[in-house]
Amino acid sequence: MPSWIGQAFRRGILTSRFPRGPASPEEVPETSRPPVLSPTLDPAPALSRATEDCPTGAIDPEGLHHGRCIRCARCTRQGFAFGGRAHPCASRPEDLYSAGGGPLPEREANRALAALGRSLQLFLVDAGSCLACNLEVLALANPYYDASRLGITFVNSPHHADVLVVVGIPTEPLLEPLRRAYEALPGPKAVLAVGACALEGGIFRGNPRTRAPLSDTLPVDLFVPGCPPTPLDILEGVLTLAGRGRGIQEAPP
Amino acid sequence: MSVAEDAAVAPGGAAERSLSYLPPDRSFALFTDHLARRSLRGTFGDLGEQDLRVARNWQPSAIRPWVLDLGEEVEGYGTFRFPYGPFSMGVPEAGTFEIVTYGERVLESRPGFGQKSRGILGSLPGLSPEDAALRVERLAGPYSAAHASAFLFAAESAAGIPLPAQEAHVRAVAQELQRVYNHLHVVARLAEAASQNVGQAQTHALAEEVLRLGGRHFGHRWLFGALLPRGPLRRLDAPERSELTRSLSAIGSRFEALWELFQGSRTFVDRLQGTGRVTRSQAVAWGAVGPVLRATGVAWDDRLRDPAPPYRDLFLPLARQTEGDALARALVRVEEIRSSLLLLEQLLDRWPGGGTIDPLPPVSPQRGLVRCEAPSGDLVWDVSVKEGKVREAGFRSPSQANWPLFALACRQSVFTDFHFTLESFGLAFAETDG
Ligand code: SF4
Ligand code: SF4
Repeated sequence: MPSWIGQAFRRGILTSRFPRGPASPEEVPETSRPPVLSPTLDPAPALSRATEDCPTGAIDPEGLHHGRCIRCARCTRQGFAFGGRAHPCASRPEDLYSAGGGPLPEREANRALAALGRSLQLFLVDAGSCLACNLEVLALANPYYDASRLGITFVNSPHHADVLVVVGIPTEPLLEPLRRAYEALPGPKAVLAVGACALEGGIFRGNPRTRAPLSDTLPVDLFVPGCPPTPLDILEGVLTLAGRGRGIQEAPP
Repeated sequence: MSVAEDAAVAPGGAAERSLSYLPPDRSFALFTDHLARRSLRGTFGDLGEQDLRVARNWQPSAIRPWVLDLGEEVEGYGTFRFPYGPFSMGVPEAGTFEIVTYGERVLESRPGFGQKSRGILGSLPGLSPEDAALRVERLAGPYSAAHASAFLFAAESAAGIPLPAQEAHVRAVAQELQRVYNHLHVVARLAEAASQNVGQAQTHALAEEVLRLGGRHFGHRWLFGALLPRGPLRRLDAPERSELTRSLSAIGSRFEALWELFQGSRTFVDRLQGTGRVTRSQAVAWGAVGPVLRATGVAWDDRLRDPAPPYRDLFLPLARQTEGDALARALVRVEEIRSSLLLLEQLLDRWPGGGTIDPLPPVSPQRGLVRCEAPSGDLVWDVSVKEGKVREAGFRSPSQANWPLFALACRQSVFTDFHFTLESFGLAFAETDG
């Protein structure tokens, strides 16, 4: 007689070793790493060639803004490769800028809200996303990431939440609901901006229908770049907010 | 729980003011255009009057411009309306529904449009098809492969550019992979709504494995950029292809084991049976597409009826049910998980060595119109290209076609049915508003 319990046991433990142990290669797909310029190249000409190719304006002749990058891989033809340290997140968007296009420096200074404690309730709001970011955030609940083992759960009302997780580029009609959702959170509260759209608008930056960046509307505490960021990036972001982020180590391939 | 909970219920109240009106994007105009002239008539033979009725009704209502109005009176003594959304419980996306009720029964649940409009269509003219495709695939992340390939096929048809046969295969592999993901996701969400905790966790895990296959073989879990001619990250050489085949067959057998358990679960089956029913005549009259249409017994699948390459050479069983309820839609999706896995096996097995495929014939000079079967139904992209740049573009997404049916399916239901109906339709505001 087949049973759910038997089925679940047969599958064994699926859950990621992160954050206690290293992440598996499956959890870190190629595009989850930021692009970095090959150290053997002369940065100035490579950057200026890549500036023309980059569809989001993430690359300028001086460097690369990881918050804008949508990991489209165009710049891989100009000497960039997806080789940077996985999962940078930053309290200030400027910290995601790498002058010269090299890897981002390690930053320890991310703002953490120790008052959030060990149990975190997340409320997801969509400011105008393509849905991929939403689904990556919600994937934290699946057995592969099982965020509840770390005290992270999703709630259905902003009134019960500690962290407002915002995805997507703000559209005009959603600005007011966003503000109201933020006001509904009891303190202490934090805002986590997830995805290139929520950071600076991603590929839609400058579109007249939208109101990027999100930080003009809400006080963002932490930015998680990527288009979309992987569930592990988001998990690391949530842990960083609570002062428990330690970066992601990767298992050797 | 809705953030707009304090909005007034009376017409003209705060609910209306809180959502500023956005003029409908061109997709809506194109949609009516297609219905009247091409899509439905081609699909179902001569529907004449009914086509026009659908077209008329899709016009945003003059009184509450952002709410879908089916043009039929459901309200009566004692009914009231309240807005549910935009950040509503259990709906992963922002979107407002106007619920018409007299307390217990939901008389109608009308989706409101325009809140998520990111102006994507408006930004396409003037871009090269490749730059435009980066925006098109982000219309709706879970359906990115369908949008990107329909758009690219249409642009190639407009410009008369032949396509390498291998690229056509890559597009089909990406689309089928995403179909498996989406159908698994819907089954998991239905299980979640029916409180099947182990079942939903295990199905979500399978869906995650499909995303990881995307990450492994296309460099991106949602396949963004993977279909572009310059998307350099995909790895589908012979050893990778056989590895992908093996992983997919493992996913297939794990899914069968899970589905056997779902079928034996009375709670799951009972909860879906009879919920959110759409009749066959409603489906045909209002222009339903995809699993919603096939669940009412209509045999229509673009991959069979109007196949773009390489589907014409592959064996594909048609999934069909007759009841039209949430269970029938779930069964269609389950059948399609199986048939997509079968298609993937054939696609990976018969990898073309080289050669090119002629572009699809343009509908008029420099204008390509391509239909493809996205996970939730027939998707149309209409693209005109001039001197290598997009001149005009429009689309009709499966969500746009199926919203009226959703509103009909919610009629006379109770509020707890709402999530079952919504999830079983697989609708996205993202690809409705554009
Ligand atoms: S991967 Fe990022 S930096 Fe490189 S071209 Fe694309 S958006 Fe620009
Ligand atoms: S950041 Fe990328 S994945 Fe996230 S909502 Fe924007 S387009 Fe979609």
